[in-house]
Amino acid sequence: MGTPLHELTIAEAGRRFRARTLSPVELTQAYLARIAALDSTLNSFITLTPERALDEARAAERLFAQGIDTGPMQGIPYGLKDIYDTAGLLTTAHSKLLETHVPTQDSAVQARLRAGGGVLLGKQATWEFAMGGPSLDLPWPPARNPWDLSRSPMGSSSGAGAAIAAGLCPAATGSDTGGSIRMPASVCGIAGLKPTYGLVSRYGVQPNSYSFDHCGPMAWTVEDCALMLTVMAGYDPRDPGSLDLPPEDYAAGLSAPVAGLRIGVVRHWYEDELEAAPAVIAAMDASIATFRRLGCTVSEVRLPSLRTFTDSKMPLTAAEIFTLHEHDLRTRPRVFGRSMRFRILAGALLRADDYVQAMRARAELTAITFAVMKNVDILLTAGSAQPAPELLPDEPPTFFGAKTPSLTAQFNLTGQPALAVCNGFDAAGLPLGMQLAGRPGEDALVLRLGHAFERATQFRHRRPEIDVSAQAVAAQ
Amino acid sequence: MATTVPPRPATREEIAILARNAGLDLPPDLFEELVQAYGNVEPMLMRLRRGRDRADEPAQVFDPRKFMPRED
Repeated sequence: MGTPLHELTIAEAGRRFRARTLSPVELTQAYLARIAALDSTLNSFITLTPERALDEARAAERLFAQGIDTGPMQGIPYGLKDIYDTAGLLTTAHSKLLETHVPTQDSAVQARLRAGGGVLLGKQATWEFAMGGPSLDLPWPPARNPWDLSRSPMGSSSGAGAAIAAGLCPAATGSDTGGSIRMPASVCGIAGLKPTYGLVSRYGVQPNSYSFDHCGPMAWTVEDCALMLTVMAGYDPRDPGSLDLPPEDYAAGLSAPVAGLRIGVVRHWYEDELEAAPAVIAAMDASIATFRRLGCTVSEVRLPSLRTFTDSKMPLTAAEIFTLHEHDLRTRPRVFGRSMRFRILAGALLRADDYVQAMRARAELTAITFAVMKNVDILLTAGSAQPAPELLPDEPPTFFGAKTPSLTAQFNLTGQPALAVCNGFDAAGLPLGMQLAGRPGEDALVLRLGHAFERATQFRHRRPEIDVSAQAVAAQ
Repeated sequence: MATTVPPRPATREEIAILARNAGLDLPPDLFEELVQAYGNVEPMLMRLRRGRDRADEPAQVFDPRKFMPRED
């Protein structure tokens, strides 16, 4: 029996399109049917676009028939996190404030995916404005984790993580301000890349924190993230942080050898400072052994504490996000969900010198990190200290990083590329993840190492038994 | 001789002044939320206030080229 259509990777579907053994229409229909069957349980989509998807699939099919190839996303169904603007299509940021918001222009990423022949399945759940949640006081419910429907897919790219893991789409866009691509990728058992800051345009994406926001790809495999990034990346003068770099094919060198690469393991972050679950530590140790078998040189390195990074990052986020929402906080604060409001209110009280001191700390921490990376090519640490948590509303509301420092936000502070890759499962069958972080601009190297790891392990062969568990939930 | 006031948590009255300075006129229940929320970020701010070399510049850099009119 062949691979079910909903388990095809972008790479494999593309090969079949080009060999004329699969039609984009057939693939799109398979995903639409699966969404219709399962998403009332998973809540991964806010808006579905089935007619548009079939139109775009037919257009892609015509291009293939004419011998026109617009690149790796041609004919590939995908989801957009609902903070990416789509012309003429509802874009809510999962917030009551934007419940009826229909942009007139596409975000830069959507324009690139559309021009590349992609097939938009719909807009996906997030946490409110990619910040507050999970919440039950919003117009749409939070997404669920397909590996265990009582658990959270984390966030804020929660719909993307849940949908890809469940086989409701092979590709999705995420955004990452403090870990919002990598956390869902880790606890949903998929791959997700926070690219170098500025590599992918933020134009037309609802901002969270200007100086930390990254747009990036999420998919079942690292190879698929590379294919997506090739289409998504590119200089955009409308984004003040955009990097003016020549176009790059991020999938081209994926299979090059990784022997000789120097990996620095930041063990103290997950083992000492966060007291990671034993399964996480075991998966990290097994991953280190895999990298050694691949010929990499692995050593432990020390970096400043996660607390130090979080102390710099969160005041900056609080200040930046307050400036985005201050008018609504002053005039209609109850329209926000309680979790979101709690996480943005404190920014009102920060002083200018708080912001400058946090920025001085950011400069220092970034310089220290890159000094350590003079001796290693890649930093390796856990993607999440624990497997997926129970799906509970953020009630009473919490402030990111207050009780426990973040294991992901340090790479938003430094702006370097960081990739989440599935590196095992715990005894309950919940996926675990690790992060590979490279120097700024070395996204291709990070992807190459992640791809080599996936090829050397068997974790991509295991899928959640969503069909069975969805029926069980429906029967409750 | 100048002295340094040691950092201490802001009082509710001080938070009310800061909120007013920020243009927030919150009803009592939301003011409670603000007090709770600020209690989470305030320890971070205190830890950030430490002696630094005067030459330690912040991470943001002003680049005037970004504000030139676009060609198209």
